[in-house]
Amino acid sequence: MKVLIIEDEKELSNSICTYLDSESFVCEAAYDFSTAMEKISLYDYTCIILDITMPGGSGLDILKELKANNKSDGVLIISARNSLDDKVKGLKAGADDYLTKPFHLPELGARVDAIIRRKVFGGKNLVKIGNLALNIQEKTAMANDKLLDLTRMEYDLLLYFTGNKNRVISKGAMAEHILGDNMDTAGNYDFLYTHIKNLRKKLLQAGCPDYIKSVYGLGYKFTV
Amino acid sequence: MKLFTRYNRINLFATVIIFLLSGLAFYFLLKYVLIDQVDEDLKIEQHEIQTYAGKYHQLPEIIPVRDQRTGYMPVGKDGGERQFTSIWLKDTIEKQPELFRQLIFYITVNNQCYRVTVRKSLEGTDDMIRSIVTITLATILLILVVSFFINRLVLKKLWQPFYDSLAAMQQFELGKNKRPQFAATNIEEFSIMNETLSQATAKAHEDYRYLKEFTENASHELQTPLAIIRSKLDVLIQDENLSESQSRVVQGAYEAIQKLSRLNQGLLLLAKIENGQYTETATINVSEKINVKLEQFGELTASKGLRVTTAMDEKAVIEANPELFDILVNNLLSNAIKYTPESGNINIIVEEGLLEISNSAASAALDESRLFRRFAKSGSAKEGIGLGLAIIRQAAEVSGFETRYVFEEEQHHFLLITDKN
Repeated sequence: MKVLIIEDEKELSNSICTYLDSESFVCEAAYDFSTAMEKISLYDYTCIILDITMPGGSGLDILKELKANNKSDGVLIISARNSLDDKVKGLKAGADDYLTKPFHLPELGARVDAIIRRKVFGGKNLVKIGNLALNIQEKTAMANDKLLDLTRMEYDLLLYFTGNKNRVISKGAMAEHILGDNMDTAGNYDFLYTHIKNLRKKLLQAGCPDYIKSVYGLGYKFTV
Repeated sequence: MKLFTRYNRINLFATVIIFLLSGLAFYFLLKYVLIDQVDEDLKIEQHEIQTYAGKYHQLPEIIPVRDQRTGYMPVGKDGGERQFTSIWLKDTIEKQPELFRQLIFYITVNNQCYRVTVRKSLEGTDDMIRSIVTITLATILLILVVSFFINRLVLKKLWQPFYDSLAAMQQFELGKNKRPQFAATNIEEFSIMNETLSQATAKAHEDYRYLKEFTENASHELQTPLAIIRSKLDVLIQDENLSESQSRVVQGAYEAIQKLSRLNQGLLLLAKIENGQYTETATINVSEKINVKLEQFGELTASKGLRVTTAMDEKAVIEANPELFDILVNNLLSNAIKYTPESGNINIIVEEGLLEISNSAASAALDESRLFRRFAKSGSAKEGIGLGLAIIRQAAEVSGFETRYVFEEEQHHFLLITDKN
């Protein structure tokens, strides 16, 4: 699967590329408008990560070009603009998702994963990973063909983990995923520990291997 | 105290003092002159008696006159120099004590020494002085009344441009686009003052705009490097060779960056609100909004064991920008949750025109004057970024709402008055 990162900030582009890079992904980068236009006309990508503001033209024009050519590439807009208007505009133009800068890479990973799931697997609602099977539509999870009794939060976390498998996810990124802009309100990560602990326990009880590993004080890693 | 009042007071005081002093001086001078006049008369009387005695060798016969009494008294020897004195005597008719001026001198007629007393009534003089004092007092009163009205009318008219400028300045608010307009005046001082005020407000306006732009630009410029640092750290922690001590270092950096990002977002949000980017309004049901928000915060209230009670008028609606109101409610609730101690209470009251959120206090009352300022953190709130309440106030102001803080019964009450009537 190929991912195109259209982002004028090379360092950010590199980070995204390094983070997403795995056996199943190949990342390409375009640092300006014309390169991006050239690449989208020549190749097909599973997912395009698109910065709206870039030198030489607007990311929205790239999006329009894609739609005009009936390309089915999934598009994730990353933008520093966070107003509702900008989001609506981006999504109306045909983007699949909209992520505001600055973001955590695991958040980007989970969003890209969701887009790819929709695009590649034709909206198939079942995600299989290890002994687990997640039903996206019904928001349920099965372990070894047995339904897991998960809270909404635990299910969310599990889905988030599967979108970032084999990567270390920082506690900050996780807290922000759950609470959004309100993570400041929490003050500490205590609420996170409780949920992870419960999720881990339920997975172990269902006969799964210990997928969720704590990485020092940094965060967690979901390994399959 | 008003300038007029002050001026009038000084003016009245000075006028009264001057008139009293001059009245007093006038009184004594007049008295001196008049008594001197009487003394002259008495001297003439003496002269007449002496001339008569010298010519006829006998004392003149006493002719009774109403205002003048003369008396002779034989004495053993000459008493010396003549002397003038003032004396109170009973009036023969009215039996009232009356002031007389008397002259005593000695005269020798036919080897007999007489003491002669000539007395003249001062009643006429007194009358004169009295009428002069009355006239003086009447004049003072008249001048006072006239000057009072002149001050009132003329000064008020003269100072009108000053009051106009003052009113214009009172309307002036930094950050609003309206500059104060000063009416033209042909009085030099006021015209200079208006010009100075005009320049000062323009300068303040310009400085403020510049500062605002700077904050906004700085925040914008910070966005990208922050995003890069954060992404690099996200990549760095993937490294499997990271030791535990290195991880701790990364963790520290990671959290600082996180805080910096939030701070920056807060500043950007403030700039956006100030720039009036949230203008479109819609009718919003307050209790519905609160319920949605409470559900979003459910995770946090549950983990802290907070008890949330509500008393909401479900029909209460407000006219506001939906995004801005979302920010307002979000920050108010977030604040309440953040600063309520574990298993504390949060109460929410929604009425027409009022939203009140109160929470159990871990500390004493907060200083309201500093509370809504940027970065005006109290000592206990280390984890906050110090912009929450500033954003609340800014968002409320832009929406035409009023924010208020009250400390009552060990609870912090934050009030959002959405309808000032």
